[in-house]
Parts: sequence; C-alpha cells; structure tokens
Amino acid sequence: MALILTEEEQALADSVRKFVADRSPLTSLRHLITSGEPYDADVWKQMSAQLGLAGLAIPEEYGGVGAGRSALSIALTELGAGLVASPLLAGVLAAEVLLRLGDEAAKTELLPRIAGGELIATLAVASDAGGEVTASGTGAGSGDAVALTGSVSPVLNGAEAGVLLVPARGPDGGTVIYLVNGDADGLTRTRLTAVDHSRSLARLELAGTPGRPLAGDSAAALSAAADLANLALASESAGAMKACLDMTSAYARIRVAFGQPIGAFQAVKHKLADMEKSWELGNAAVRDAARAGDADPGRFGVAASVARVLLAGAYAEAAVDTVQLHGGIGFTWEHDAHLYYKNGLSNKVLLGGPGEQLDRLADSLGI
Amino acid sequence: MSDDFRARARAWLEANAPHRAASDEEAEADTRGRAVVLAEQKAFQARLFDAGYAGITWPKEYGGQGLGSAEQIIWSQESRDYDLPTGAFFIGISMPGNTLVELGTEEQKKRYLPPMLRGEEIWCQLFSEPGAGSDVASLQTSAVRDGDEWVLNGQKVWTSGAQFSDYGAILARTDPTKPKHNGISMFIVDMHAPGVTVRPLKVATGHSPFNEVFFDNVRIPADALIGEENKGWDAAVVMLRHERIAIGTMSGSRTSPLAYDSLRDLAAGLGRTSDQGVRRDLAELYALGRATQLFATVLREEAQAGRMPGARGSVAKLAGSELGRFAGNVAADVLGDQLAGFDAAEFAAVTTAIIAAPGGAIAGGTSDIQRNIIGERVLGLAKDPGVDRATPFNQLRVGTQRQN
Repeated sequence: MALILTEEEQALADSVRKFVADRSPLTSLRHLITSGEPYDADVWKQMSAQLGLAGLAIPEEYGGVGAGRSALSIALTELGAGLVASPLLAGVLAAEVLLRLGDEAAKTELLPRIAGGELIATLAVASDAGGEVTASGTGAGSGDAVALTGSVSPVLNGAEAGVLLVPARGPDGGTVIYLVNGDADGLTRTRLTAVDHSRSLARLELAGTPGRPLAGDSAAALSAAADLANLALASESAGAMKACLDMTSAYARIRVAFGQPIGAFQAVKHKLADMEKSWELGNAAVRDAARAGDADPGRFGVAASVARVLLAGAYAEAAVDTVQLHGGIGFTWEHDAHLYYKNGLSNKVLLGGPGEQLDRLADSLGI
Repeated sequence: MSDDFRARARAWLEANAPHRAASDEEAEADTRGRAVVLAEQKAFQARLFDAGYAGITWPKEYGGQGLGSAEQIIWSQESRDYDLPTGAFFIGISMPGNTLVELGTEEQKKRYLPPMLRGEEIWCQLFSEPGAGSDVASLQTSAVRDGDEWVLNGQKVWTSGAQFSDYGAILARTDPTKPKHNGISMFIVDMHAPGVTVRPLKVATGHSPFNEVFFDNVRIPADALIGEENKGWDAAVVMLRHERIAIGTMSGSRTSPLAYDSLRDLAAGLGRTSDQGVRRDLAELYALGRATQLFATVLREEAQAGRMPGARGSVAKLAGSELGRFAGNVAADVLGDQLAGFDAAEFAAVTTAIIAAPGGAIAGGTSDIQRNIIGERVLGLAKDPGVDRATPFNQLRVGTQRQN
C-alpha cells in the first residue's frame, strides 16, 4: 500500500482541516488560556459526534468508526497543526489498552461511550520519575475491587476523566491495570501548570482508592499503547511542524529588511530549507508507521518509534526557529509562535522523552 | 500486468544477478583491473537490455521498454538486494540519457540512446570547472563556431567515468557578450576525438574516482548541439534535476561501510553496543536512514500519481548527504580511538568511508546550493539578488581571484 494519501484519506484530512479552521482556530486556544477550561466542550462534542474522531480507531462492534490507524494519524496531524485542545489522545490510548487487554465486560461497557465522546477516559502512565501506584492485592480472577495507593504524574486529562486506567504493582510484583472512576473515594486530582496551553495534565494521588482489576496481558497492552502514543504524538507534531514551516515561510516572503524580503538571505533561507527537509523525512516516517499500524502490525512498533524519534527533535527545533526567524514579533504573547514552541517542548517529553525513545528503539532493533 | 512484471523481474534477477556483497567498485577496479570489471559490466548490461529491463520508462523506438513508473518502482524494489554490475552506465543513462530523451533531436535519440542502454557506449557529464563549481553558469570552457563545426577549448573537472567514456554531454560558452546564463550551449562530445585529454583526479581518500578533462581545439559537428544554441542553461537545469533525483532516490546499499547494518555489526564486534551513547547513535542512524528511504518512496509514488518531484529532488539530495555525514560521525564514535590509529585491515574500508563522507555534501550540488533551491523553488522565498545576472559574462569576475 502506498505511503501517500488515498483520495478518501485526503478528503478526511480536508474535512478535519476545515473543521479546525472554522471551529477551533488558534484564537479559541487563547480563550481557553483565559478561561482556564481544559478544552472547549462544544468543539469536543462536534469532533466526536459529527466527525466521529473519538471513535475513529475503535472497531464498529464497539460503537466506533473502525477506520484504522492511518485515518487516526491523518486526523491527529490536522488537529496538531491547529493545536486543538481536546481529550482525544487520552481517549485513544485508553481505548487501545482496553482493546489489547480484551476484558470483554470492560470493552462493552466503556468503548461505546468513549467512541461517542461522552466518556472521557485516560491512561495513567508516566515516566519512572512520575511516581508509582501499588495495589493491596491483585484482585485478579475475582474481579473484586482492590485498594490502590500512590501517585502518578503527569496524566493526560487526568482531572477531567470519568474513568482512569491505572497500572499498579501488586504484592506479587506483577503489574495489573485497574479501572478507577473519576469520582472514586480517596482519589485526589490536581491540575498541573502545563507548559503547552493545548494540553490538560494532572497529578493523581490515590489513598486506598478502589480499583477494579482488568483481565488480560497488562505488559502487552501498555507496550501497544506506548507504540500508539508514538504514532499519535508524531502525527500531531508533523502537523504542527508543517504549520510552523508554512507560517515562517510566508513571513519570510513578506517581511523586508535591508531592502529585500528576508527569505532572500541565506541565514533565513537555509534554516527554512532544513526545516522543510526534516519535515519531509518526519512526515514520510509518520505515513509509514500509520500504514504499518493497519497492514503490518509486526513492524508497527519500530515504525512508530522512528517517526517519534525524528519528529520529537525536529518539531521542537522548528518551533524554536519559528520564534527566531520571526524576530521580535515572534517572541510576543500576541504572536502564535510561542504556542507552537510550548507544544513542541511538551510533545518532545510527553510519554517518554528522546533518550527513552532511542533506548526503546535500540531494544526493538536488537542493538 | 504489474504482478506479471514483478514475477518476471524477480525470476530474471534470481537467475542472472549476483546478490549484494560488500563490494566497492573503486577498490575492485584497483585490484582486478578496470578493463576486466568494465568488460563484465558491459556483458551484464547487454543481457539486462536484451531481457527488457533497461530503459524501462523510455520510449520503445529508442530502445526503451515504453512502460510506466509503476514498473520502474517494481524494478527498483526487486533489484534492491542485488549487486547489479551496472555502475559504469548509471551516470550516462540517468543524466545525459534522460536529458536526450527530453531534449534530443530525433536523429540524436535514434543514434545514441539504444547503444547507451545496451552498454555499448558509455557516457559522462562535463559541467564543473576549476573556476565554476556551485556557480556552474560562470563556466569558461568555450565553443567557437567555425563553418559546420564548433571548436572546443577549456578544462572540466570532477568528471566520473571520463577515462572509459565514449561520449560526454558538455556545457560550453558560446556567447561571452551575453549575461552568464544566456550564452551557454550543451553539446555531445566524442571523448575519443583528437585534443581530448583525461587525467585521474586524486581525492582526500587517496583514491581517484574522478577525472580532469582537457579540451584543446577539439572539433565537434554542428548537429552535436543538445537543445538550442545559447539555451544550454535550460538543458543543464533538466540534467541537474535528473541528477538530483537519481542521487536522492538511490536506494542506499545496506552493505556500504556507513550503512546502519554495517555499523551495528562493527559496534557489536568491538563490544561497543553496551555503551548507551553508541546504542542511541545507532538507533538514530537507523531512524534517519529509514526516513530518507521512505521519503524517496514518497517521491516515486507521487511521480506515479502524476505529481512530479521537481525541486523536491533537492530535499532528497540534501537528506542523503546529511545522512552520510551523520553516519560518518556515528562510525567515528563506534571506532573511538581506533580511528586515530589502527592496524586491523578490517577498519580500512570504514575509515575511508568516514573520510569520504563530506564529499557527498559537495558532489552533485553542495548542500548549501540545495538549500538555496529548496528555499526558492519549494518554499517560494526570494532569490539571491544575483548581482551577476544581468552583466555580460566578459565583464564579470569569475573563478578564484587573488587580491593584490
């Protein structure tokens, strides 16, 4: 299957792009900064109900669209380009864990509501330094709730989620994933100061919080979610990086200094050419990972890792160059450059930073 | 139809072509003799042509197969893991050859293309001069009309394969009173003609993969003109586009000393894979190499869908050169202080490749020229002011000039 978009995929990209331009331009992100809301509830409703984005990669038998990962990647690329704040990524990762675990009761109960956008779900994972949760027992087999204790941070949409999937270490040392309700006893959720205005992140503290164990292979499910997170963040970053490239090229064509458009100067031109090159490479890697996700699952982990590794660095660098090449205006609050710069900083480290990603890729490659 | 082509191509390759091994054409020529290697390549190219796998997208009347880019892509995919002994013909077919297909007269195409495809006549490209590299339009080699002939004088440099070429596509100045881009023409020159002298050019690695070529009153017929008189720059742009696409979409050999596979094996052999820095470097090299390959695939797919790569060929060229330099750094990291001094013969090839790595960012248009092209023709940025664009060539300062 070709890496380039099919007509159907191009139509999806166009419709999401139009939605972003009409319903969630960057001015609406600025409204969220002022209001403190994590995302625009109306926009989210339209994204899930009208565009079906919340259930794009969830199979039809669980109320989703069943469109697959290439479609998901395309939608996330457009949403990333517009820095659309939403709980989509959190839900995508939670749904992936539920699908991989295969706990039929949980799938039937939760997936249709996630797909419809009415239930915000998240996966409470963080790096090693982000805390640990332990369980008083495993509860495995019995299905009985156990008491969870510990903390985890930063968690995507942790403060808004109706359900949280919390991996916790049991007394036997094994990790089981527990289903925790957003309003559970002993759960304290604190919204963090997020560097990226388009993300809502929280610290969870659990003090004897009841959690229902989910059946299935937790390690495999978490690894699958990590792979999908790589594709998702790489897709968003590819879209956002293209937005930086377009914005900065456009400015270099019209801003005049020393008697000519600044794009005529090689100090500007060459930075933009390098940005174009890095974007093309990252975008090709995203397309390959998206295709592998649908058609060649055995290759998906490495392909998604490649895309993430390349875009984490390339987008962060492009975003800071966007500030630099705009000069003074690019460093003002009113200009959009800082919104991308912060998104780039955040995307680079969320759910495993560059070093961790390279180590993971090296492991997968058998180095 | 495509499946059929793939099956046939696969069967032919399996029966006729050697699988890839770590072969280095230059080193091979050094040890086995250029003539032996060349004779084998000519014999192979003839079989390739007779079997119908040369000039896949070229028209049938000029010896091609008249097929589409789909078949070309299939061929590239299927032949990737074979070591096709066709190196001597790569430049001729992909650069002068493709340019003749686009711009040649009917007579030129009928006369030159079939023997080129069958490996009977080898071609080279004569653009760069000692005083004209990145600014190739400032070239000083001249062609002066004399009756039914042109008389060629000057020097070219960095010419691959000139020592065994039969013909060359050469740029020469035909009107020095016009601004530099408007007084150049492109010709076909017989490399065996009296007055042509080819000398090997030794480079930083100690090898001589290129030549210097001298033209001393070389007479060429009037009908050897490619395209129109004084429109040679347009023809050069066509050829340079083919060059960048050819270089940019070359599938990198997995057995080259700087390929990820080779460096991973080298690192494992030296016990360096437990070093976190080396592991991360290798993982990043894999990612960059993979993405560079994937971008070439994207360009081929777009071409197949009718969207020509145009100046984005320069992105592929830049990415490939940057990958080479990064790989050189990773290789140096893997070798550690054994790069500074070694007595193991096994390190010779990788060390030579490290030394050669910066050359990739110069050959075929420097990375900085590629960045200009990408900025101006992909991103639509303003051109360099070009103080020399309107001045007659004979009033310009060119080449290297000492200050007194």
